Amino acid sequence: MRRLAPSPTTRVEVDRPVPFRWVGRSIEGCQGDTVASALWNAGVRTFGRSFEYHRPRGLFDLEGEGASQLVAIDGLPNQSAGTTALRAGMSVSAQNVSGDPRSDLYGVLDRFDRWMPAGFYYRRFHRPYRAWPFFQNRMRALAGLGVLDTSSPHDDARRSELYLNADVAVVGGGVSGMAAALAAARPGVRVCLFERRPWLGGHMDWRVRETRGERLYERAHGLAEEVAAHPHIRALTAAPVTGIWGENLVTGFQNGSDADGFDERHWECRARAVIVATGTIERPLVFNHNDRPGVMVSDTAWRLARSYAVRPGMRAVFSVGDDLALEAAVDLASLGIDVAAVADARADGADPELVAALERAGIEFLPGYAASAALGKHAVAGVTIATLDGSDERRFACDLLVANAGRQPDIGALSSAGARFRHSPHTHTFEIESLPADVFAAGRVTGLVDAEAIETSGRRAGLEAFVHLAGGLGAAFPSTDEPSVYAELTKIRAYSSELPGPPAGCGILHGPNLGSGRKAFLDFDEDGTWKNAVQCAEQGFDVPELAKRFGNFGLGPGQYRVPGQNVAMAMAQITGTAIEEIRCTTVRPPLIAPKLATVAGPNHDSYKRTPLHDDQASRGGVFRRAGAWQRARYFSDDHTCRAEIRNVRENVGLLDSSPLGKFRIYGPDAIHALQRVYISDMTKMKPGRCKYSAMCNDTGNIIDDGVVVPMGRDDYYFTTSSNRAASTVEWFRYHTRYDGWNYNLVNLTDTLASINLAGPRARDVLRKVTDADLSNQAFPYIGYREIAVGDGIAARCMRLGFVGELSYELHVGASHAPHVWDLLWSAGEEFGIQPFGLEAQNALRAEKGHVIIGAESEQRVTLLDIGMGWLWSREDTASKKVGAPALRACQDQPNRMKLVGFRVDEGGGSPQDGAIVVDGDDILGFVCTTRYSEALGWQFGMALVKERAIGDGDVAGLEIYENLGGRPRRTRATIVPPHFYDPDGTRLRS
Amino acid sequence: MTFRLTCPVCGARDVYEFRYGGPERGMRPAQEDLSPEEHFRWTQFRTTRPAPQEEWWYHAAGCGVWFSTWRNPATNREEGPAT
Repeated sequence: MRRLAPSPTTRVEVDRPVPFRWVGRSIEGCQGDTVASALWNAGVRTFGRSFEYHRPRGLFDLEGEGASQLVAIDGLPNQSAGTTALRAGMSVSAQNVSGDPRSDLYGVLDRFDRWMPAGFYYRRFHRPYRAWPFFQNRMRALAGLGVLDTSSPHDDARRSELYLNADVAVVGGGVSGMAAALAAARPGVRVCLFERRPWLGGHMDWRVRETRGERLYERAHGLAEEVAAHPHIRALTAAPVTGIWGENLVTGFQNGSDADGFDERHWECRARAVIVATGTIERPLVFNHNDRPGVMVSDTAWRLARSYAVRPGMRAVFSVGDDLALEAAVDLASLGIDVAAVADARADGADPELVAALERAGIEFLPGYAASAALGKHAVAGVTIATLDGSDERRFACDLLVANAGRQPDIGALSSAGARFRHSPHTHTFEIESLPADVFAAGRVTGLVDAEAIETSGRRAGLEAFVHLAGGLGAAFPSTDEPSVYAELTKIRAYSSELPGPPAGCGILHGPNLGSGRKAFLDFDEDGTWKNAVQCAEQGFDVPELAKRFGNFGLGPGQYRVPGQNVAMAMAQITGTAIEEIRCTTVRPPLIAPKLATVAGPNHDSYKRTPLHDDQASRGGVFRRAGAWQRARYFSDDHTCRAEIRNVRENVGLLDSSPLGKFRIYGPDAIHALQRVYISDMTKMKPGRCKYSAMCNDTGNIIDDGVVVPMGRDDYYFTTSSNRAASTVEWFRYHTRYDGWNYNLVNLTDTLASINLAGPRARDVLRKVTDADLSNQAFPYIGYREIAVGDGIAARCMRLGFVGELSYELHVGASHAPHVWDLLWSAGEEFGIQPFGLEAQNALRAEKGHVIIGAESEQRVTLLDIGMGWLWSREDTASKKVGAPALRACQDQPNRMKLVGFRVDEGGGSPQDGAIVVDGDDILGFVCTTRYSEALGWQFGMALVKERAIGDGDVAGLEIYENLGGRPRRTRATIVPPHFYDPDGTRLRS
Repeated sequence: MTFRLTCPVCGARDVYEFRYGGPERGMRPAQEDLSPEEHFRWTQFRTTRPAPQEEWWYHAAGCGVWFSTWRNPATNREEGPAT
């Protein structure tokens, strides 16, 4: 269809065509169009089919409110046609249709409404109960909205997130919102403004009416320029607000264009004060077939013409209830649209200026009339209009029926901010009763209609917010500014009281001659009719909160924003209750639904790499995520790591253990802190020796182990397991928070790298790179030495034996680590040095019977249960050791989980880690770690089992049960002491 | 749920930066003659009422300080004890 001639309010470029596809057909929109405006201009009237009855649905509003305008775009279902910007090459299709949306096969369902009363699926099809799954599947196939295309698992939209801090956040970029932002913004005050449309201006953006010598759109455009140029205002457009949360956290999303560098972003703004200027939404008029494509609210018809230069229809009839809609009728007529008649549900109270303008335009004006039914099968072809008592009914032919029952404030954002509302018999809306102290409202959401009053209310709200903040901040604001602000506020308060307040509103809900109302819709999203509302009330679901759930009013994508007030009014009318006694149901965030993917944000995984990452990668390291780190797990395709293990047992291996937690604690009370969190007596440390100990929590569970080394007077160096590194500082400080102890704790985990040199030739290798005396006498097992490596690199060297061989752990500055690695590598070549990864380390330490916290321990087991009670300094009560009372309380408890070693019996298989240990049908525990050991020649493992499984006899057996893809497998094993390899520790000490 | 807390070192910050350490329940009891019941009451039992209470918070994403503050769980605002 040819576009209307562009006017100063036009937001599209009609000479820049944008081709796209609609259910397979190629059609054209233009630059600046939304999907909805382009479709409407192309003559598309049916956008999709309704949820339950498969009725044709079209464009009702352009705000993206309801399900009627949801379409699938490029395979993504449930996209809002009204708000999605048109892009070249888009493929748009209708939803909930079988075949073409104009001739949907299931359209016949519309005739079966008699068998689908309110709540029918709660009550029918349940007998016999076996039948329900069948009916459920059938209904699910018929009802619903979009279908997820699982063949395209994700879109490639660019996503982003933005976190803002503001002194004042303004929700809504209409004239009052902009005026509020400009009034609040001044040096020292940061203002953020959020507007859901792609441009600022609100409803004045398209109004050409002249007030005080200026056209309203000119005023709106002027303010928009001021806002854009203001150094203290950040305005986000195309950025709907999803909710206002505790302490003024305003959240929302933003649709970006190619120029923005993102397609969608999630944003959050923490504000000190919030001004809500969200305006109004039109309250739908309930009449028969009020959902026919071609029925729309007045803003939609008006914006199509004024913003998008789209002809909303050839011949229009209005059945409305507010002055703005009358202005729309006058304006559409001036743009050359044939307006046949304007019915106003208000018998009087219409703006006389507009009534005169209607008369001048030759439009028949019918006060006290409203639509009773829309005519036409697939789209509006006419309308019957009658007096409210139904006595005088008239018929008009038209292809556009503009209908509303007046306006309601858009209270969603205010509601989520904690405002309270009450029904006003004057405006017939739920108006603001109270606001939180730091939330302000401005503009049409407060019921104002007069243009000057709207702008003034915005300025006033901005100043009120500023003064509220200044009161709280005192000197933080420029004091020179303040007196003038107070004077300005006093003036504007006085001026506001002279301006027109909220005018009387339209109180009708439905048109005349409604009948049973079986095709008069209260809720378009879920096909909730007037008749359904009556049925709800008859069955006792007679208040909005109950009718909402039983009759599904407002549970659809539009949530409660559009039908909310109508449902409350309907329940009041049906039950004969005064509307003032009806509680409006809650509007729940998200006020506008964002995509979950947008809330989730971009997929950026952040992890740490050790200083030796590249060195290991070049040696064939295969990396896996381990806690916060990427660590080399294997160095070959053999995930049992036979070669790596053998090389450590026979020659020498290199392990990057840099993620190990490394800390310095010093100060006069450092020893007290250590005594508190470690379970052993930490006063018995000796210089040059590592003290191995463990930490427990208050229930006696072992949570960490590591070594502590005294470094000097009141100065200690200690290690924690990799997973505890991040929470160690928190843990120390929490458990000493009452004591006022003087100590400092420094996290050196990332500062120092750690290289573990392990194997019988470890000493031979290290000797080549240091002059230090490494003999067994000079540097024995459990010793600690500070040595110089290479040409003088300082290394903290611990002689430990986690993997069960002679080994040295070298802690060196992270930047020196690659060099030290190279030195060791060159020195070790003649001894067959090879790197080994986490899996080999895991198998090696398990062979030795060394535990890993979290693998051989869990929440139910204590230090004592895993056989490490020898660490506990039992007599010490003075240190108030964390976990000691719990250990004392449970040390004699019978039948606790205990850690045992086992050897799989001859001919048994290789069970997996985590397999359960059973006794008949009883579960006794589980396998922690089990591997086949080449050194031992058998499958060994450790398991946590109830004590009774261990028995009293010399030889006790375990039965391990696994379910391998439906096939049970039972493995017999024998309990053995968990020191499988080198039980005497001669290799460690050699 | 979202609110702000005032860290004694860093000032008012988003609650996401903090970790909750439970309501104030007194010093770690002396372990001499401590009965298991007393110990578990101290470690496990928490009382939260919709009225101002003293609580412990850890500034995990900030300076790493443990501090106690008065807050009203009914409003999520920092609010001193009722006098």
